[in-house]
Amino acid sequence: MASGICAALPEIACRFPALDDSLLREARKSVDAAFKTFVRTYGDAIDRATDPLQWLLNNLEKLFVDAPWPLVLLVVAGVVHAVGRDLRITVGAIAALVTIGLLGLWEDTMVTLAMVTVCTAVSVAVGIPLGIALSRSDRLQAAVIPGLDVMQTLPSFVYLIPVVMIFGIGKVPGLIAVVVYAVPPMIRLTNLGIRLVDREVVEAADAFGSSARHRLFDVELPLALPTIMAGVNQTIMMALAMVVVASMIGVGGLGRNVLQAITNQFFTVGFLNGFALVAIAVVFDRASQSYGKRLQRHLEVVHG
Amino acid sequence: MMKFFAAAVLAAGLQSVAGTAGAAECGDVSIAEMNWASAGIAAHVDGIILEKGYGCNVTLVTGDTVPTFASMNEKGEPDMAPELWVNSVREAMDAAVKEGRLIRAAPILSDGGVEGWWIPKFLADAHPDIRTVEAALTHPELFPAPEDPSKGAVYNCPSGWSCQISTANLFKAVGAKDKGFELIDTGSAAGLDGSIANAFEKKTGWLGYYWAPTAILGKYEMVKLSFGVEHDKAEWDRCTGVADCPDPKVNSYPVAGVFTVVTKAFAEKASVAMDYVKTRKWDNQTVGSVLAWMDENQADNEEAAEHFLKEYPDLWTTWVPADVAAKIKESL
Repeated sequence: MASGICAALPEIACRFPALDDSLLREARKSVDAAFKTFVRTYGDAIDRATDPLQWLLNNLEKLFVDAPWPLVLLVVAGVVHAVGRDLRITVGAIAALVTIGLLGLWEDTMVTLAMVTVCTAVSVAVGIPLGIALSRSDRLQAAVIPGLDVMQTLPSFVYLIPVVMIFGIGKVPGLIAVVVYAVPPMIRLTNLGIRLVDREVVEAADAFGSSARHRLFDVELPLALPTIMAGVNQTIMMALAMVVVASMIGVGGLGRNVLQAITNQFFTVGFLNGFALVAIAVVFDRASQSYGKRLQRHLEVVHG
Repeated sequence: MMKFFAAAVLAAGLQSVAGTAGAAECGDVSIAEMNWASAGIAAHVDGIILEKGYGCNVTLVTGDTVPTFASMNEKGEPDMAPELWVNSVREAMDAAVKEGRLIRAAPILSDGGVEGWWIPKFLADAHPDIRTVEAALTHPELFPAPEDPSKGAVYNCPSGWSCQISTANLFKAVGAKDKGFELIDTGSAAGLDGSIANAFEKKTGWLGYYWAPTAILGKYEMVKLSFGVEHDKAEWDRCTGVADCPDPKVNSYPVAGVFTVVTKAFAEKASVAMDYVKTRKWDNQTVGSVLAWMDENQADNEEAAEHFLKEYPDLWTTWVPADVAAKIKESL
């Protein structure tokens, strides 16, 4: 290890002057201690606050898993057709679900589907208002964007530690981990979409005396819709990817099978479950995309 | 096999003749640094001893039991797994040993690995009647499930580990479901550890699978519950350890064999170090106290290994010849 160059140089040039070990250790310990105190003090309150979320997740999962499969198939086909109005996508969705069922992954897929549905809904509900707020204020944007960078790049294991310490294991901590990971594209693309709306159009709307609310809902959001829908797509994809990681803290479904396959090197099991996730992702993606396109066409007609 | 023994004997002979000249023969050695603390420390202790004492060029490779074993078995990499819990790979391990691909060098834990169902000590102190699994199961209210506090919880071992199967079978055997308990899937070791940390910070009850020696059991004092029966190996092989066994019976966990496993290539190229690998072992108490020190000081595996080498010379100097020990001491 010792190289020749370093022997001739003063030590400071070869070894980075790091802070004292014991100082760093004390700093780490005190941060951890503060965090533990926080958990001890607010743990119960946080548990109570997340109770409704727990209830929602438990019941939605029960609903998806307990419902007779032909009904689920019918509802999924119905929803996909209603939003997409595209026969090919609808048929594709049915074929994907039937294949999943034939491979014996129906129940796990339903668990994952319930989880991803809630995660996506929460991400969209949180992301769009935040994105709108960001598009209104450059200062807010400058403050929030670095935070989003951290959320997207911080290794997920790192924030799983505090999440598990505070919330324990199971669906609620899983949901939080997934939303933290999946919400940034929603915020970013909503912000970007609104900022990219042609200024002249906005000025025209102002000239016609539209209120801020009017301008947002009838001008900016419809014009930003393709970008916002791209954000929804991204969020769904990231939520699906993160569900696998969330299985490390006790979220069931396809992710757990993948994790189990990784631990035991079950190549086929891993791929089958992975592809089931891909199938769901494709269905979600195509349906939401064609919904976005349709919505925009529809709104443009209204605006003449 | 004979060839390898001959090579080892020859190398050992050469070493005694040529003194420390053997050090130059060691070459590149890769050691699996498993993702739990006791094995991680062992990997670093081995790393330091092989590098400083025997002149090997050591690289550490992060690993986990099954993937690392598979890689060693199929590809001969890494060279050495200091702490391998062979129960989870027993059949493949036996085959690999028989066919000469791998060598079960020596047990690293002199006490073996201890598995079982545990509860926090603070809970055991408050409820002295709970010393057995049976007694714990009469109190579902003491062990609230994370997603449905009206039920009790038994935290299972991480997904995909072999203890997941045995814990699920024992859960069934003791009739825990009818007693108002559910089996909680913890997902990963991080999830299982987190659930324990969460329970201790909030001072709520916790019941589940864990094993020693571990940092968690050094950090959070827990009491192992008795299943009320002796370990029955035949029954374990027939059913307790078998996935989806239809009629599991109550059984106790075996004391796990924990071995240092090396590849044939290692035994050949690092034959000078084989004596060390064959004698090196420590007891659970020593491991526990090193792990406790590590936790108290938030040290990493490497710092803990250095701490061990500095504080326990009486133990480790018996593992190596005096001249090697002197070299290691000098490097600390």
